[in-house]
Amino acid sequence: MEKIKQNAIVKKIGFNRVVLLCVMVLLYLLFALITPMVKANASFVSYARMVSALKYAYFLGFLSLGVTFVIATGGIDFSIGPVMFCAALISGYLLTAKGWPLALCLLVCILVGTAFGILNGVLVAYAGLPSFITSMASMMLAKGIGSVCTKTQSVSWPQLADANGWYRNLVGIKMGSGEFPTGLVLLILGAVICAIILNKTMAGRYILSIGSNREAVRLSGVNTKRWETLAYIICGTLAGMAAIFYVAKNTTVLPGLGDAFNNEAIAGCVMGGTSMTGGVASIGGTLIGVLIIALLQEGILAMGFQIHYQYIITGLIVLVVVWADLRSRRRRN
Amino acid sequence: MGDVILTMKGIDKSFPGVHALDHVDLEVRKGEVHALMGENGAGKSTLMKVLTGIYSKDEGTITYEGKEVEFSNPRAAQDAGIVIVHQELNMLGHLTVAQNIFIGREIMNGKLIDDKKMNEEAAKLFDQLGIDIDPKETMSRLTVGKQQMCEIAKAISHEAKVIIFDEPSAALTEAEIEELFKIIRDLRDKQMGIVYISHRMDEIKVITDRVTVMRDGGYVGTLITKDSTKDDIINMMVGRVIYEDPKTESAVAKDAPVVLKVEHLNAGRMVRDVSFELRKGEILGFSGLMGAGRTETARALFGADPKESGDIYVNGQKVDIKTPQDAVKCGIGYLSEDRKRYGIVVDKTVAENSTMASLESFMKGMFIDKKKENQIAQQYVETLKTKTPGVDQLVVNLSGGNQQKVVIAKWLVRNCDILIFDEPTRGIDVGAKSEIYQLMNELVAEGKSIIMISSEMTEILRMSDRIVVMCEGRKTGELDIAEATQERIMHAATLRD
Repeated sequence: MEKIKQNAIVKKIGFNRVVLLCVMVLLYLLFALITPMVKANASFVSYARMVSALKYAYFLGFLSLGVTFVIATGGIDFSIGPVMFCAALISGYLLTAKGWPLALCLLVCILVGTAFGILNGVLVAYAGLPSFITSMASMMLAKGIGSVCTKTQSVSWPQLADANGWYRNLVGIKMGSGEFPTGLVLLILGAVICAIILNKTMAGRYILSIGSNREAVRLSGVNTKRWETLAYIICGTLAGMAAIFYVAKNTTVLPGLGDAFNNEAIAGCVMGGTSMTGGVASIGGTLIGVLIIALLQEGILAMGFQIHYQYIITGLIVLVVVWADLRSRRRRN
Repeated sequence: MGDVILTMKGIDKSFPGVHALDHVDLEVRKGEVHALMGENGAGKSTLMKVLTGIYSKDEGTITYEGKEVEFSNPRAAQDAGIVIVHQELNMLGHLTVAQNIFIGREIMNGKLIDDKKMNEEAAKLFDQLGIDIDPKETMSRLTVGKQQMCEIAKAISHEAKVIIFDEPSAALTEAEIEELFKIIRDLRDKQMGIVYISHRMDEIKVITDRVTVMRDGGYVGTLITKDSTKDDIINMMVGRVIYEDPKTESAVAKDAPVVLKVEHLNAGRMVRDVSFELRKGEILGFSGLMGAGRTETARALFGADPKESGDIYVNGQKVDIKTPQDAVKCGIGYLSEDRKRYGIVVDKTVAENSTMASLESFMKGMFIDKKKENQIAQQYVETLKTKTPGVDQLVVNLSGGNQQKVVIAKWLVRNCDILIFDEPTRGIDVGAKSEIYQLMNELVAEGKSIIMISSEMTEILRMSDRIVVMCEGRKTGELDIAEATQERIMHAATLRD
């Protein structure tokens, strides 16, 4: 065990990430093995299943990447799911009912997310409100505003064949019988950019440091409020981007929903090794965490179980991971 | 001194990679105050943790009241009559004094808590100790000194036979220390065995009967206090003489320019109309008793806490400092008294902590220039002789003195001209302490200026060129080092309105 930990490649990726990666692979093998046993004629090992699982991971991944920044500061954002829906509803409404050009609508979609990020960030960092309550409130705001803007109607984004349907290629481009996973490329690109921001820029350095010891950073003459706000803005903006991948997968958006995705996004982030108390975060971990959740969801569906089983399993995994994180921190102090 | 009540013999304890205790002996008799001394990291706390069952020992025997014992947890030790009065008080501020004393073993009346009975019992305890505290008072309204008395009362209420005081005087005023000593003497006369852990040499001479000295986890020896000198004890602790004479005259030229001028600073109850000047190349000592408002003055000056009024001039220019950011821009750096809370960022490395205040000068476009960062950090690790396996080490893994050096490095990297060192050697071992003194002298020789807040009289007299004395939020004295004596400082420090 110690030997593996000391291995140069393992050290570079991080031991926990390697374990997580193994968990993911094992999970896949497990589903491949069990699915045909549970449900006759069902198979988990297929390109279609993989694409389906991945499509779930795209929008969830962007949500989870975003919330990683907020959790890194020691805060939490429970508004991302509804914000994603709100962004999709408003921009979809502008596209379908008002006839705005698609490119502009996609931009609006992202900016709605940014706006919520600014709101949360300013309230938390400058007004000093607890992030838990602030994001609860803006979650309700997002749900309400989304519904009001569309007059509580669901919004159906265009299909691929329709005019303005090209945006659906953002998750995958049909190629013969298969599909090229554009979404995966974009998600990985997004993750790489996030990792660079978190690990190589001033913003990332201060965001993590604030999560570790806010007062020490402030007393170093750093404008902690500004950097903390930025974390929420990044989070909101990524929620806006997530909305694009959500509609590209599902096209239809219902008003007044979205909270379920908060929990999954935060779960993915925490599974990946980001500490809920802040200061430690891993973008790579978040990515793997999200893939595991997507895999769970697809596996459960493939076996013909209700989706609620996925919640139970995800919930248990999160508890174990948070418990392990706390234990290792306690040991270190 | 009576019979032996507690003997620890050949106690050995290892943690992965560290031999924390190397066959340590300790003998406590009834009716003695036994000092346990040693630099930080010498193993005093570890030894006490082994005694009270927080750690299990690898080797050795503990004999208590004639029987060999091994406690599995602090509760078991407490039940047997061995209790610790901790340095950090474990009190619940919103509960009453009596409720705190009986926490975890409340006196019950059926299913309900009997507050009346607890108040009576607490009053009895205080009577015994000759302390005047109302058991019904809310704990948070007492001074730190009084809270400590409550800790002691709580310890005694466990029918203690051995009481361990872990740096009890650290947060107390002189008057409170006197009261503490009176209680300790009483307990001694009642034939209790008392272990007294402290860094304050003067107290050891006053209150203890014997001294056991530890160094680097090992047992060095036991002395009779009245037959030994301070230097004897210090020599045993460090293996070298470090006691230096106080500074006799200021090293600063009379016409040295004023780099910082503070006029009529007001901030809350603890900073009332404070004015002073700091000259180039000067170490300005801030002396006073605990709670005199020195840290509060520094924090208000630095913009860490809001101020109500007052003018600040840096190099003759009036400046408006509202946040630490403003202060840092003016070239002021602040080394906090509480390193863990306000100094280091534990999840970050030595290098990352070193550049925390000056990251903008380590940017290459959008990205942090890690190579340059590591290089500069390494340079300061060498200059400050910081003991760390490397600059990529997490700062949490360093010892207190080395963490302090990292925080100092942070301000040196920033190249601040005015440095506020708030208790720069608190909780730091003697060796690292003299290194920090040497560093401060080098810094002022380079033309930097230092405000040094210190509660240690010897430190103030050894380092300062000039001394500002505060009491209850006001400046009550200003002395040139040439005219400063302990008596004069103490006189000013107790000048109340």
